[in-house]
Amino acid sequence: MSSPFSINGGACVAMVGKDCVAIACDLRLGLQALTVSNNFPKVFQYGDVFLGLTGLATDVATVSDLFRYKVNMYRLREERGIAPKTFANLVSSSLYERRFGPYFVSPVVAGLDPKTGEPFICGFDSIGCIDFSKDFIVSGTATDQLFGMCESLWEPDLAPEDLFETISQALLNAVDRDALSGWGAHVYIIEKDKVTKRLLKGRQD
Amino acid sequence: MDTLVARYSRPAYLENELFSEQDEQDLNDAVPSFSLKFAMPPVAHPSAWLRAASDDRSNPSCPIKIAHGTTTLAFRFQGGIIVATDSRATAGNWIASQTVKKVIEINSDLLGTMAGGAADCQYWLAWLGMQCRLHELRHKRRISVAAASKILANLVYQYKGMGLSMGTMCAGVTKEEGPALYYIDSDGTRLAGNLFCVGSGQTFAYGVLDAEYRYDLSVEDALELGSRSILAATHRDAYSGGFINLYHVKESGWEKHGFNDTNPIFWKTKLDKGEFSNVTSDLSERV
Amino acid sequence: MPGFDFSNYNRNAALHARGVPLPKATSTGTTIVGCIFEGGVVIAADTRATSGPIVADKNCEKLHYISPNIWCAGAGTAADTEFTTALISSQLELHSLSTGRKPRVVTCMTLLKQHLFRYQGHIGAYLVVAGVDSTGVHLFTVHAHGSTDKLPYVTMGSGSLAAMSVFETQWKAQMTQDEAVKLCSEAILAGIFNDLGSGSNVDVAVITPDKTTLKRNYIKPNERTQKLKSYKFARGTTAVLNEKIIRKEDLGNFVSVQEIHVAEPGDKMEVDV
Repeated sequence: MSSPFSINGGACVAMVGKDCVAIACDLRLGLQALTVSNNFPKVFQYGDVFLGLTGLATDVATVSDLFRYKVNMYRLREERGIAPKTFANLVSSSLYERRFGPYFVSPVVAGLDPKTGEPFICGFDSIGCIDFSKDFIVSGTATDQLFGMCESLWEPDLAPEDLFETISQALLNAVDRDALSGWGAHVYIIEKDKVTKRLLKGRQD
Repeated sequence: MDTLVARYSRPAYLENELFSEQDEQDLNDAVPSFSLKFAMPPVAHPSAWLRAASDDRSNPSCPIKIAHGTTTLAFRFQGGIIVATDSRATAGNWIASQTVKKVIEINSDLLGTMAGGAADCQYWLAWLGMQCRLHELRHKRRISVAAASKILANLVYQYKGMGLSMGTMCAGVTKEEGPALYYIDSDGTRLAGNLFCVGSGQTFAYGVLDAEYRYDLSVEDALELGSRSILAATHRDAYSGGFINLYHVKESGWEKHGFNDTNPIFWKTKLDKGEFSNVTSDLSERV
Repeated sequence: MPGFDFSNYNRNAALHARGVPLPKATSTGTTIVGCIFEGGVVIAADTRATSGPIVADKNCEKLHYISPNIWCAGAGTAADTEFTTALISSQLELHSLSTGRKPRVVTCMTLLKQHLFRYQGHIGAYLVVAGVDSTGVHLFTVHAHGSTDKLPYVTMGSGSLAAMSVFETQWKAQMTQDEAVKLCSEAILAGIFNDLGSGSNVDVAVITPDKTTLKRNYIKPNERTQKLKSYKFARGTTAVLNEKIIRKEDLGNFVSVQEIHVAEPGDKMEVDV
C-alpha cells in the first residue's frame, strides 16, 4: 500500500517577499490515480495567519478544523489575534503531542507579525519539528519539484506583484511534473493592509 | 517449462480464422530464434526477481521504475479506424515525460498502441514491423492484420509470466478484412473487436466513447470522438495527460491528425461547449 | 509533563501492519561535538536538517538552551531533540526556582536519561550536554536509550566518526578557550565536508563560569554565491481566473451580523406534558 502522504496528492509552497509573504496550494483531491475533486484548497486562513496543509486528506480536514478551534479559543482568551510565530509554536506542540500516533500532514505557516509587520514563514514535519526559513517552504507530493523551482526562481526582496509571479510559476511548473497534484491553484499574497487571493489557470490533466 | 512447451508445440489457431498454409508457416518462422535469447540476471527465479525489483505499486521504493500509466483507444467505424492516445509517461508519481509517442507506426499501413512497459511495447512492435516486412518480401503481398497480431500474441505468450508488460492494439485496413482491430496483452490475450480502450485511464475513455459511438460515424465526428475521449481520461486520470495523438487508418494507409496539447483543447472545450463544468473559476470554498 | 496523545496510534499501527510506511521525520543527520578546556566547555554543531535525501533546512539550530549555564547539542530525530531539551529546560527552571539554586549539569543529565530510558529509545534524541555549575565544568553524552558517558571530548551524530578523527589526532589536555573553540569547529568542519548528513555552517557555544557565548554561524564555509542573472517574471505572466482583495479596513464588512430576538420575560420553557 502506498504512503498516506501520497494517497490524495497535493502541494503547498510559501515564500517571503519585501514586506509581504505568499502562500499557495494546488486544488486536487485524488484517490490514487482517480481525481475526485478539483476544488480542494489546502490553505486555510485564521485571521491574519495562514496554514497550508498537505498529506492525507482526512487529516488535512481534521487538523484544519482543530486549529480553527484552537485559534478561536486563543482569540477568546487573549482578546487578540494570534501572531504567526505563536501559531507556529501551537502547531508544533499540537503535532508533537501525537509523537507516537501522528497526523499524516506536512503543515506550512505564513503571515506577517502583527506588531512589526515582519514576514514569517515556516514548515513542519508530521511530528512538529519546525523548519524556520528566510526564503521559502515547500510541502506535499511535489516537494522535490518545488524545491528545484524555488531554489532557482526565488530571490530576496520581491515586491508583492513580483512575488505573485514567482510563487505562481514555481507552483504551476512543479505540479506539472507531479501526477498527484495540480488541477488549478490558489495563491494568497499577504501585505500589511490587504490580502489578495487569486485562482490560477493551471493545466487540467 | 512453459517456454519449452511453447517452443516445440505448434500454436493452436482459432477455427474461424482462415490462415493460408503460408501464413501458418510464417507464424512458425516468427517464433524467435536463439539469437533472441535475453541475458538473464544470475538469480534462481529471474521473473520473480524482476517483479520484486520493479513493482512500484507494492514497493514504492523499488529500484527499477518502469514507465507506465496511459490512456489509449482505437475503434472501428465505416471510414476505417481511429487510433488516439495521450502522451504522458510516469515513474511512480514523477511525470517523466509529457511528449511520448504512444502510437507506434509499425509500417505505412499498420499501427500499434503502447500501454504498460514502454520499452516492451517499443521493442516488440518494432520487431513485429520487421516480421511484417519479411512476410511482404517472402510472399509479395501485405500481411493481414489478423496474422500480424497473432505473430505478436504468440511471441508474448512465449514470454508469459516472465515480466513482459504490454497492452497493445493493432489496427490496419486491408482489402480482405476491411478495417481490422485487435487487442493483444502480455498475458497472451488476443481479441478482435470494434472498440478498445487500454491503460489506467481506460474507464474514463470508455465512458465517453461508449456514449457517442456508432459504426456509421462520419470521419470528422469519429476523429472528434477519439480526441474527446482521451481528453476526458487525461482530466480524471492522474497518470494520463500531455498531448492527444490522433490517427486515422484507411485502406490506403494511416494518416496522422496531429499531436496537440490538451491544455488549450481543454479550455476550448470548457469555454465554447460548456463541458467540464466541475472545473470552476469561482474562489468559493470546497464544493 | 502533560504527556503524549496516543489516539491516532491504533489507526496508524493498523495501517503500518498493512504495509504503509511510517512518516519520515526531519532528522538532524548531524555532527555535534563537545570539548572541555581550562575553565570551561565548548559545544559545536553543524546546521543541516535532512528529510531522507533532501536537505530540509540549510541553517537550523542544533544548540539548545537548557539554562543560562547549561546548553545541549542535539542529533537524531529533530522534533525529539527540540522538545526533550525544552521539556527538561522547563523542569530544571522550576526545580531551581523551588530550591533557589542554579541548576547542576548532572541534574540535567539525569532528568534527560530518565526521560529517555522511560521511552525505551522511541524518543530518538542523541544529546551532548555541557555546562558549568557549582561543582565545576561538565560534559556528557546522552543516548536515546538512556545510556550516558562523561568524557573530556565527545562527538555524536552521523558525522561523529569524522569529527572524532580530528579530536583523536589533535586533542590535548589543558587547552585554552581559543584552542578548544578552534578544535571543535575543525571537528564540525570535518563532519560538514566528509559526512553527507551534515553540512552548511558551524554553530559554537562557549560556557564559562561567568558567561555563556553563543556563536551562531561562527564559520560559514558554504556561502551561496549570488545569482548572476534574475529569474524575475514579467508581471502578468501567470494566467488568473479570479481575484479577491480583502483590505484590512474592509474587514468589518465580512463580519456577519445576526439579529437575535430577545425572549419576553416570564416566558416559560416548553416541556412535554
